[in-house]
Amino acid sequence: MAASTCCSSTPCKHHSPSLPKPYNSSSFPSHLPLKFRKFTSRATAAATVFCTLAHDAAAAVVMQEAPPSLDLPRPDSFGRFGKYGGKYVPETLMYALSELETAFRSLAGDPDFERELDGILKDYVGRESPLYFAERLTEHYKRPDGEGPHIYLKREDLNHTGAHKINNAVAQALLAKRLGKQRIIAETGAGQHGVATATVCARFGLQCIIYMGAQDMERQALNVFRMQLLGAEVRPVHSGTATLKDATSEAIRDWVTNVETTHYILGSVAGPHPYPMMVREFHKVIGKETRKQALEKWGGKPDVLVACVGGGSNAMGLFHEFVDDKDVRLIGVEAAGYGLDSGKHAATLTKGEVGVLHGAMSYLLQDDDGQIIEPHSISAGLDYPGVGPEHSFLKDTGRAEYYSVTDDEALEAFKRLSRLEGIIPALETSHALAYLEKLCPTLPNGTKVVLNCSGRGDKDVQTAIKYLQPLLPLPSARHLRCFPSLPLSHTHDPSPLLLHSPASFDFGEAFRFELKRVSHIGMTLFGFIDGSSTDAQGMDAYCRSGLAFVAL
Amino acid sequence: MACGSFNYSFFANSVGKEMCEKRKTGNIAKVATCSLAVQGNTSTTAKPVVEVPADQNSTFINLGRSSTKRRFETHRCQETIEEIIGNGKFGRFGGKFVPETLITCLNMLEAEFRSVLHDVQFQAELATALRDYVGRETPLYYAQRLTEHYKSKSCSGEGPEIYLKREDLNHGGAHKMNNAIAQAMIARRMGRTRVVAATGAGQHGVATAAACAKLSLECTVFMGTKDIEKQSSNVLLMKLLGAQVKSVAGNFKDATSEAFRNWVNDLETSYYLTGTVVGPHPCPSMVREFQSVIGKETRKQALEKWGGEPDVLVACVGSGSNALGLFHEFIDDEDVRLIGVEGAGIGLDSGHHSATLTRGEVGVYHGAMSYLLQDHEGQIVGPHSIGVGLEYPGVSPELSFLKDSGRAEFHTATDQEALDAYRLLCRLEGIFPALEACHALAFLDKLCPTLRSGTKVVVNCSGRGDKDAAIVFNSKLT
Repeated sequence: MAASTCCSSTPCKHHSPSLPKPYNSSSFPSHLPLKFRKFTSRATAAATVFCTLAHDAAAAVVMQEAPPSLDLPRPDSFGRFGKYGGKYVPETLMYALSELETAFRSLAGDPDFERELDGILKDYVGRESPLYFAERLTEHYKRPDGEGPHIYLKREDLNHTGAHKINNAVAQALLAKRLGKQRIIAETGAGQHGVATATVCARFGLQCIIYMGAQDMERQALNVFRMQLLGAEVRPVHSGTATLKDATSEAIRDWVTNVETTHYILGSVAGPHPYPMMVREFHKVIGKETRKQALEKWGGKPDVLVACVGGGSNAMGLFHEFVDDKDVRLIGVEAAGYGLDSGKHAATLTKGEVGVLHGAMSYLLQDDDGQIIEPHSISAGLDYPGVGPEHSFLKDTGRAEYYSVTDDEALEAFKRLSRLEGIIPALETSHALAYLEKLCPTLPNGTKVVLNCSGRGDKDVQTAIKYLQPLLPLPSARHLRCFPSLPLSHTHDPSPLLLHSPASFDFGEAFRFELKRVSHIGMTLFGFIDGSSTDAQGMDAYCRSGLAFVAL
Repeated sequence: MACGSFNYSFFANSVGKEMCEKRKTGNIAKVATCSLAVQGNTSTTAKPVVEVPADQNSTFINLGRSSTKRRFETHRCQETIEEIIGNGKFGRFGGKFVPETLITCLNMLEAEFRSVLHDVQFQAELATALRDYVGRETPLYYAQRLTEHYKSKSCSGEGPEIYLKREDLNHGGAHKMNNAIAQAMIARRMGRTRVVAATGAGQHGVATAAACAKLSLECTVFMGTKDIEKQSSNVLLMKLLGAQVKSVAGNFKDATSEAFRNWVNDLETSYYLTGTVVGPHPCPSMVREFQSVIGKETRKQALEKWGGEPDVLVACVGSGSNALGLFHEFIDDEDVRLIGVEGAGIGLDSGHHSATLTRGEVGVYHGAMSYLLQDHEGQIVGPHSIGVGLEYPGVSPELSFLKDSGRAEFHTATDQEALDAYRLLCRLEGIFPALEACHALAFLDKLCPTLRSGTKVVVNCSGRGDKDAAIVFNSKLT
């Protein structure tokens, strides 16, 4: 307790200069008290950290005063990346976090653990994932004089379960097993993280409990079913808005209660120390393989690395290996949603301010009261109001660059890669791909760009279709029939057109309307005009499967 | 069709035999041969080249010239190119039962296939594509908890060790990609700009669409209306990949017929991309060659993992591409049991099944002779299976031959057994298998109790089952 009094004042003093917001905004006096509230609570929380961890207050002071430098270990012994990171958590969780850190540090160097993990990564996850030269994408970005960068994709989409996430989930489950914890909890929004967690729990025979907002459960019934198939118990959360953030709170409550038997699998490089470090270490295999494969393929290093950033795990996994290679450009791409100025985005590093969320200090999307602003992105995986603390640090030191792309740009990129390479990327990954549009014209000929293709887009097809096709929704199969005598030949030959004709519908109007859309978008419609039974059946099948009028 | 006409000692060409036997005597140990055979996917370039003038007229006469048969004799000898191509006959099965108009086209295809097997550059390109694009090699995964499950079910607590060949990790989610990318490359090499394909479960369609997108070819996929309903997610993927999806009333067999008709109308510019080991020669040989990488990798990985061969291979059989891809490498190793599992639908006696080899009779369909589901008038009986990819009334001629010769065994699993296997693998291993592959997994229930402890069983996990979650979901409700 003595230590507590001693150091609770120290961090306050040394902390404050590094917090920009309260001082920057002092010209707006009306905001001042609110800012102070934010600031004070942060300092108090910081005190908790020091009390528990810092046995030597003087050491803490030295660390605080050091300018942000890449040469220091990341994170430092307090779990901080510069001023970011830390352990802003209730006291009850401190023990679990310390235990986790100790276990991680001892296992990270343990050859047995390494061997077991490597075996699983190879045979279960399917590593190593290829570094694929995207020939037609490269061709696409060639300038008129035939020059342009070479684009390589790191194919994390070929992993088991279709994304990089499994690298970390598998490793954490193995860690939990080593710790003797038989119960795993996690929360999920759209269900992807839940499915990944349930998958590894099934693999290791661990009990798995997934918290999910009741509303999300209804929307994602199939993913709920998947998790149940994998043997997980999905617990609906009814409190609050019954979505992800309420599920997170509920999961944390569970962890606090059952901390001795339970491991909490966090899916990103966010959260309190040691999670950002641990998740990064489990993902760094991406960068390591990239270095090795680059050496094999062109005998050198990549020149530019590009990855999307939501929480930031796939980007960190790729970047970490190259942070010390100063000649490698690191580029993170965030989601700008409807546009950075619309307020509907998830561009935390570009537009956020420093604050504390989910146990760590980092850039956040917050309002003047320090309350979280609901982020928006077309991709569920980037839809996060915070970002990994190490990214905040890399941004401040200027080591990495961060940009953003909008939903529309991402969708274009989604379509582009599907068409050019036959690879359907996740919508998250599409953000990184979209940035190539701006990046490539600026790069000299022959630059080697490695882009982390972090996930496959099978899960996003429905979303993409919804946005990509602006056609009329059709009422139902019963309202459809073939129209035998439309004079289509001279207007839209040979692509057939399907029309709907409920009795009350003005047929001529609908026809003109559709035709205009068709010629405008240049798409082919499904549908059948000759009224033969074959085609009517075909059309019916499309309609029943909800595919009528889907076109790209 | 007389079935006693094969001749075990009949050789298509004596040169090939001689070369084979020379090589055979050079191979001291079995293991040495294995490692020879699997060094790189493109080992064909190292093979002796034996040119034999293709004699079309003899195709129909020499029923005994089975390349498979021949390899029984020249035991464990590496295949020559001529052996890979064969003459289209597997015992009495196979052949080229097509209208005269198509013969030229098939001959062209055969010539092209022969020339790519010679082409070092093509083979190198294919190897790169398989490694970097498809994501090979796929792991041979020891299914620890599945193994324990079967051990715990036996009274002695012992049982076989089960390994899964993870073809579900391929780009596109199934083994189909191995063949699609290779054939699309052939199409491009032939200067064709348009690819036509037919698909059942949509896996072949997705693979073809992806390969065409990568190689900048136009792609049209024919699909049965019933299958479109069942596999709508795959339809969306194909469209997204830029393919045109055309619906055909019925299921896979109707789609195939329609795709064939479409191709015949435009032989000059389009290429018909067969997804499976059926159809007229050289399609079965070609697809089998491109899928045989599965077996080659399995041999290499087995050698690394336990220093031997697998004892039992299990794969599902619809028309047979994934089974043959796994089996082919081991046909000459007669101590390896080959087990194919067909879809018994809602029961073999119900009439609603797709157990062609178990219940079919010999006939000619889609250009080749094989076992078929047919009625008394020789008309095709519509097949049924919950695994859409298994719903085909015919089967590979080579598998038909392996059945008759007794080299491979064929069994069946019902829809319900497949669904149970789906749930079991999800629960125990965290892997969603395709419903097709579930049939192979379901047979483990019957197989495992009969096997000695420590037997190495390799099951081909031919595809991932994300696409089938909805079907399993609905089956729960009914």
